[in-house]
Amino acid sequence: MVAWISALLVGVAAFLTPLQVTAEERRSRSILVLDQSDLRGPFYYSVFSGLRSVLSADDRSHITIYTESLDLNRFRGKNHEALLQRYLKEKYQGVPIGVVVAAGAATLELVLRWRSELWPEVPVVFAMVDEIDFGRLRLPDGVTGNIVKVPLADSIKAARTLVPDLQTVAFVGDAWDGLTVYRNWKGEIPIATSGLKVIDLVGQTMAEVRKQVVHLPDRSAIIYSAMFSDGEGTYYPPATAVGLVAEKANRPIVVAAETFLAPGGTGGFVIVPGRMGEEAARLVLRILHGEPASSMAPAMSGAVKPVFNWLQMQRWGVRDSDLPSGSEIRFREPGQWEKYRWQTLAVAAVLLIQAGLIWVLLHERHMRADAERESRNHLSELAHANRQATAGELSSTMAHELNQPLGAILTNTETAELILSSPAPNLSEVKEILADIKRDDIRASEVIDRMRGFLRRAPFEDKAIDLNDAVRKVFDFLSVQASARNVALSFEPSGEPLQVRGDQVQIQQVIMNLVVNSMDAMAAIPNGRSVIGRTEMNGGSSAVVSIADSGPGIPAEKLNEIFDPFFTTKKQGMGIGLSISRTIVQAHKGRIWAENQREGGAVFRLSLPLALS
Amino acid sequence: MPGLVHIVDDDASFRTAIERRLRKAGYEVATYPSAQHLLDCLPNESELACILLDVRIPGLSGPELQERLSELGSTVPIVFLTGYAEVQTTVRAIKAGAEDVLTKPVSSEELLGAIERALAHHQVTRNQKNRLDVVRAHVAKLTPREREVFELVIRGKTNKQVANVLGATERTIKAHRHRVMEKMQVQSLAELVSVAERAGILRDLSGAGQTN
Repeated sequence: MVAWISALLVGVAAFLTPLQVTAEERRSRSILVLDQSDLRGPFYYSVFSGLRSVLSADDRSHITIYTESLDLNRFRGKNHEALLQRYLKEKYQGVPIGVVVAAGAATLELVLRWRSELWPEVPVVFAMVDEIDFGRLRLPDGVTGNIVKVPLADSIKAARTLVPDLQTVAFVGDAWDGLTVYRNWKGEIPIATSGLKVIDLVGQTMAEVRKQVVHLPDRSAIIYSAMFSDGEGTYYPPATAVGLVAEKANRPIVVAAETFLAPGGTGGFVIVPGRMGEEAARLVLRILHGEPASSMAPAMSGAVKPVFNWLQMQRWGVRDSDLPSGSEIRFREPGQWEKYRWQTLAVAAVLLIQAGLIWVLLHERHMRADAERESRNHLSELAHANRQATAGELSSTMAHELNQPLGAILTNTETAELILSSPAPNLSEVKEILADIKRDDIRASEVIDRMRGFLRRAPFEDKAIDLNDAVRKVFDFLSVQASARNVALSFEPSGEPLQVRGDQVQIQQVIMNLVVNSMDAMAAIPNGRSVIGRTEMNGGSSAVVSIADSGPGIPAEKLNEIFDPFFTTKKQGMGIGLSISRTIVQAHKGRIWAENQREGGAVFRLSLPLALS
Repeated sequence: MPGLVHIVDDDASFRTAIERRLRKAGYEVATYPSAQHLLDCLPNESELACILLDVRIPGLSGPELQERLSELGSTVPIVFLTGYAEVQTTVRAIKAGAEDVLTKPVSSEELLGAIERALAHHQVTRNQKNRLDVVRAHVAKLTPREREVFELVIRGKTNKQVANVLGATERTIKAHRHRVMEKMQVQSLAELVSVAERAGILRDLSGAGQTN
């Protein structure tokens, strides 16, 4: 029976052994992270965050992370250690751990001590162990990690960059022995601070420290290691402590941990805990992926770098260029540009678009003004051509008007000659004749002036026009023509003055076109030819000129058509008179239309806006 | 040749100048500012005269006045004056019997020459007219029967033919014919035909004959 059982056990053992080997080769994907202080403090929290971010980025399989904070800053002694050991032993009994991560030299020391009992053969990765501790602890096989190097000399160097002619350094922090990496500074002090005065506030209560840092001498800097308590029973993370110190300090504080910057540290060669966590995690992964820890020699950590607090730099008048090369500056308050980049860009873009739009509008306005000017000039030219054509029609009238005085002058001259050649010339008669000649001469030149005024080729003028006067002049001008054509021409001006704006010659031309048109329309009727012109006020805003004739009227269906270019009923007409008239009236913001009168004959009306007085 | 010149022109200055010049040349002058003024006191046909008429005058125009005067049987020659010689107007005026068409300004020489010709023409037409008037006065004295006989005789009908046409005896016709010769103050048939021709009676008759 016993033999049977023994055989069974041996069999089982034989069966189990290869399994064990396999388990060792394929490590458990659980790791235990032990930190020296408290994971809830900012420093170790950052270490853990860095570690976790790298581990969780590993895509091969999920890694279970167990964490334990040993809280060695607040609890010390053999008892505490024994308690921890028992706690861990019982807690993790039956929990296979693939890798143990130890953050801090004291933690590593304990892990190494506990390892053979708690995690035999389990590889250990350490972090936050400085080179002095590393040298002291003789590490067994299967233990690897990154060695951090934060010599006091670096902090002094940083202090010198912050205070150019540094004379004094004040050490603030817990008693050296209670610290992790910084405890080694104690031995460094004599060499690192040579030539400097040292104010030693190490181990003082917070109250005392805050009292002292208020009046530190000029050209001094505070070298802050780490404070975990106020010395009177209150514990806090050293990042909180540095804030309390900074509140009172009259000098910059050199720190050696990234987490001390935000609360008020000025800067220094600091440990970047997140990066330290990442470094440890990468080692863990290598081990979990099968690389034997024994073949991985501990290396120097890259988690220490010069980092400075921009806000504190401003306070202490430190410029970027004063800092050691490769320095990183944190908490830089963005300039107006950085702060409001998008707003600024948006505003600038809006302004630019607006400016562009304004430019485009101005350009368009300019172009339109140009086009309008050009169009008005074209109109002026066309109107001029029309006047010339009309002038052709009127040339007989003009010749008649001109030859009348010229004929009188010639006859008078010859009569005067006759008188003077007689034996007894009647000089008083000659005098009379000369006066007549003079008057006729003036008359002739007036005719020419009138003709010139009418035929003047001038750019569009925008002037106040007395409408009654302008229309009367046209009627006077056409009176000869009208009488020659046996047309009774009459003008009935409105009682009140009518003032419009525009080009007088062009407006007169329209009136003339209408009157000549009416006269032409009546050429075929035997008698009773009349053209009556009227000016009237229409409401308070416009004036209406009407030209009524006693002709045959206009066929109703052609009332609109007559204003079209090249519409004509005359044999010799070009059909542009009314078309130009309409264009001119429209250019004066007016309207022109034709109607048939109930009592017979056509009436043309044009309305023009009154000029505002 | 002395005579009366009627000046119709709306231009007072021109009227005065011409009047002055013509008076210097020894003419009598009457001026009218419009055609209507002239119509209101028509020129005495018996007086040697001519009319200087502006083509373009307010109211009744020059050519229209010419037409009106012609209708009224005026023989006074018209010399047109125009400020602007339009072919159409000129042709129309000449066709309607204008003496001349002058363009303003006109030299005294040209003007006086035209007036002289017009007056000479007027003298001729006036004499002719006077003679014609005498003939017409004689014709007017004929009785209707005598007029019928007269019209047939000058067309070369014999007494017998006339008697047949009028349904009378040859003898009666003979007596009528004798009275016609007396009233017309002619001695021979040849003279009677000549007078009738001059008075336009023969022409009128042949025209009427054609339409028949």
